[in-house]
Amino acid sequence: MSEIKETSVTVEVVYRGIFQKTLAQRICRSIVLAARKRGHTGTAFARYGDSPERNGVPAKQFAVVAINDLELEASMAKYEPAVVDVSIAVDDTLVKGVESWAWYGRQPIWKPVRKDGFLLVTSTNTPDEVLAQTDTALRPYTLVIVPGGASFAGLWVFKDDHTDYRCLGALAKVLPDWVRLEDVKALIREQTKDEGAVQSAQYGYDGAVLRPVKAGEGTSGHEVLQFEKPGWTTMRPGIVVDARKPGERNPQYKKYGARTLRPVVNFDTCIKCTMCWLDCPDECFEVTPEGHYEVVYQACIGCGICAQVCPVKDCIVMVDELKFEDNEDKWQFWKKDHDGYNKWFEAKSGVSADPKVRTPAARQEGSGNANPSANPTSASGGDD
Amino acid sequence: MAVQVKEREHQDVETEQLMSGCEAIAEAIRLADVDVMAAYPIRPYDGVMQAAAKLIANGKMDVEYIVADGEHSQFEIVKHACAVGSRVFVGSSGVGWFYAFEAIAVTAGLRLPVVAICGNRALDDPGAFGTEHNDSLAVRDLGWLLPWAETAQEAMDLALMAWRVGEDKRVSLPVAIGLDGAFLTHSQQIVKVPTQASVDKFLPKFDLGDRLLHPDNPITIAPQVDQDWLMEIRMQNDQAMRKAHDVITEAHADFKKLFGRGGDSPFLDEYMTDDAEYVVFGQGTLALPMKVAIRRLRKEGHKVGLVRLKWFRPFPTQEIVKSLSRFKAVGVIDRDYSFGSPYYGGVLYNEVRSALYSLEKRPTIVGFIAGLGGREIEQPMATDIFEKTKAAADDITSGDICHWIGVRS
Amino acid sequence: MAVETHGTGTLPQIKGVKDVPYDELFVSGHRTCQGCESALVMRHMVKASGPRTIVLGSTGCMYVANTTYYTTPWVVPWMHTQLGASGSAALGTAAGLKVLMRKGKIKDEKINVIAFCGDGGGADMGLGAISATLTHKDYNCLVLLYDNESYANTDIQLSSQTPYGAVTTFSPSGTKKRLMHTRWKKNVPGMLAAGHPESRYIAAGCAAYAVDLMNKIRKALELGGPTFVHTLDPCPKGWDYHPQYSQELGHLAVECGIWPLYEVMDGVCNLTGPTRQIAEGRKKRKPVIEYLKRQGRFAHFADEDVEHFQHEVDKMWTDWLVPGVIPFTVAAKDQTILKIDKKPIHEQKTA
Repeated sequence: MSEIKETSVTVEVVYRGIFQKTLAQRICRSIVLAARKRGHTGTAFARYGDSPERNGVPAKQFAVVAINDLELEASMAKYEPAVVDVSIAVDDTLVKGVESWAWYGRQPIWKPVRKDGFLLVTSTNTPDEVLAQTDTALRPYTLVIVPGGASFAGLWVFKDDHTDYRCLGALAKVLPDWVRLEDVKALIREQTKDEGAVQSAQYGYDGAVLRPVKAGEGTSGHEVLQFEKPGWTTMRPGIVVDARKPGERNPQYKKYGARTLRPVVNFDTCIKCTMCWLDCPDECFEVTPEGHYEVVYQACIGCGICAQVCPVKDCIVMVDELKFEDNEDKWQFWKKDHDGYNKWFEAKSGVSADPKVRTPAARQEGSGNANPSANPTSASGGDD
Repeated sequence: MAVQVKEREHQDVETEQLMSGCEAIAEAIRLADVDVMAAYPIRPYDGVMQAAAKLIANGKMDVEYIVADGEHSQFEIVKHACAVGSRVFVGSSGVGWFYAFEAIAVTAGLRLPVVAICGNRALDDPGAFGTEHNDSLAVRDLGWLLPWAETAQEAMDLALMAWRVGEDKRVSLPVAIGLDGAFLTHSQQIVKVPTQASVDKFLPKFDLGDRLLHPDNPITIAPQVDQDWLMEIRMQNDQAMRKAHDVITEAHADFKKLFGRGGDSPFLDEYMTDDAEYVVFGQGTLALPMKVAIRRLRKEGHKVGLVRLKWFRPFPTQEIVKSLSRFKAVGVIDRDYSFGSPYYGGVLYNEVRSALYSLEKRPTIVGFIAGLGGREIEQPMATDIFEKTKAAADDITSGDICHWIGVRS
Repeated sequence: MAVETHGTGTLPQIKGVKDVPYDELFVSGHRTCQGCESALVMRHMVKASGPRTIVLGSTGCMYVANTTYYTTPWVVPWMHTQLGASGSAALGTAAGLKVLMRKGKIKDEKINVIAFCGDGGGADMGLGAISATLTHKDYNCLVLLYDNESYANTDIQLSSQTPYGAVTTFSPSGTKKRLMHTRWKKNVPGMLAAGHPESRYIAAGCAAYAVDLMNKIRKALELGGPTFVHTLDPCPKGWDYHPQYSQELGHLAVECGIWPLYEVMDGVCNLTGPTRQIAEGRKKRKPVIEYLKRQGRFAHFADEDVEHFQHEVDKMWTDWLVPGVIPFTVAAKDQTILKIDKKPIHEQKTA
């Protein structure tokens, strides 16, 4: 057993609000309970400002483990730790950045991670594919890919697909001094009496792929959003803020950070019925000069309603957000370079832009996107 | 976008009328050209609503008079009417006031200058119709200006001051005038009712400026804040309350010039204090029997006096320090209670002691709780209060006590 | 910069989706869930009302999610009001505008006043204030109740609008109690229509039928006096389904006969959309299981729970005086004297 030099360790779980709330809770609690087996103490808490969580909007929960109560005190009575040792992102699209809160601006996923800390990401992609969408590193860290796609559930019904066990196994690999694999397995065995669950922890441990990241690696293609908070002398009296101007979208709050899928549009097959524009709760469609409706990707939260209400098969297709590098509107691309756009549409969606070509059955299965099912069921139920 | 404001009939002559405190406030509502008021029955404040209804029915004033379904609705209705630029009036008493508590809190948070009366009444349970100040005092931390009237005349005058000070852009805070139930709300006194022209000189039009809720001024009022913003907004309220002190002083001087009354100080009403050694301190109508006692005791050679507080919020700390530091002992009479407070004293008692704390030479400050539930403060009780105050003069620790006056065991 | 008026301020009925106004007065950039139908209702609400509108928003999702200080998604003037105060906010705002215009203190013109509330704030806490406002026929205002069938903003607690048996944080399903919430949904629009004969317009709508909803809002604003519209809003978070199905669930609620669409206008009740077709016999009500099985909040339902739910919905259609509106049955002996014909419309002899 190696000697612990630090007196406490902090882990955050970054997740999609509501869909992964229970998952994040299970991971954080298990970290504390597993560490308890070694005699450490700890606390698990959700970031208060995220509450109430909103579907898809990134949120955070934390687990802090310390060698004794005195050391733990430094982490109490806080909303969130300023620095974490490990960040676990349970959906790989989160590496494109998360708001620090609501609309304060998109931040790099590694922002609170200390130098030489760890960023765990659940993904079916390779480390380099994930890194290509992560902001340029300011300091070195280790990217760890935990095998498996994003696990989405709902508020009442938990999808027990062992994602938490795999994450705990991977965590044991990078924090062996604090979270021992045998303690994780013992905890899982106690809680579930299911050897399959225990094996998932081992699988997470064995299958976790470590990729050291140097400062300077990553992409600089993501929008930098900053906001300076004014003080009481400049804030308008009476809790008043200016209204939005007619014709604008809220420049201070762009929802694309909450997206795991984005809609791509086949302008060739669009019949200009207006339904996508009409039914979008987030007002993400613009009518084009020719009467098509294009997506304003800065605003789109990726709910998928447009794809459902569109009466034309495969005219709007929801695609894994990780496949896209920018948030530019696309109608002009289609207008200027019709064939180029359609090739792009096909490459992204896996669907032919030509309606006469039948969509292969294979595409309906693993299209590589993290589309949650309509009503995830579970054998074991949720923790809530 | 010029608008033609309709002319109102001007009453050219100041008149003298016999009216209750509630009726006097109704006159103020008329003179101030209030736009919207919301009514709900509870005694003893609702005399003002009844008086106002008569004025409206007889064409003496044009006000939207809405009978609400409860006090919470009452106060929300006028709050929102105020937000679109209406001059408003509302009121309640006792537990009715508490039913509106949420609305009362947010009105101050929103910096909306709603003017209200609280016909001070004992809280249920047990209830009584008589006066106690805890209803008004319960909101003392929230940002409402809280003056107390002694006479029906003062009630009317304070109402006019309330719109003037509350609506002032430097303040923009709501005002609740405390009127002792029965003694002030219902008893009729001689009141000088000023001319419309003089009131129009005193009260400018209500103007919310760029805070007005109207399609020509697109704003969002009160989005939800979090811990990153709340302290700054509270700070703004704090600053406004500090400014209220100066705005009250200004307005008082104008009032005196126009109407010839208001006393020397906007904040304190001093009675026979020039050479006094021991004084009592309190607010509202309890000053009246205390003044009777002072005259009697003076005849017997006691150097006694009274300092009556006119504005509880903003608490006129400097004025109180300056005034009370002259005396050997101060008996603070609370027509309220504050169970479990320091020395089990009433609200005024603890605030006065806090105000005087850092003085090098402090008078003894003794606490008295009297007159709860509208119990009259009779002369033997008044004498008792002065005797106990005088007896405490030489030992400052003898002020660390609160005497309940006139209670049967 | 003032928001411009459009024409004379009258709001004509919208013929179809192609005639829906393009101007957006509730714009993107608010912290709502993916697939939030209540946000869509907000968008349609002010789309229907146009820019000469003041909106009062009571506490709830459409306050906290939408309006976070220092930013806002509203183009029209908007003000917060308290949880149970939407009725009072509508009344106070309308009264204030009316008297200021009468006295010449502001320009005399038509300004729409809309106060919205959720089912928690409207059907529970604020019902009294809404009722009071609906009796004040001298003031023009609309109270819009957006019903996601829970106190959603506080992380989903049950309200009087939560359906029978649904799971919320106040009604979890456990080993001892499968159903903790066994109260049937309170009939708010019907109650308000029956109880306030001087209100000229009370309606039930759904954002899945956007044009129908917008037209209802326009009628409410054009007729004048105090009015009320109640929308059923599928909520991906509270109802537990993937957000992409929000529109579909709205359709199912109506097609299963669970949420009838109707309006009561100047004392005349009129069924709209698929509800009319169901009443006419042209469309058969889908079994409620089609709706229930799509939502995680009913995942714990046993067969008997589904049967009870179906039974209650059936009763509403066979026994109620007006399905979804008036829940009384009429005693058999009185059916003749009250001229109640219980046969479905398509089986009745034509008049």
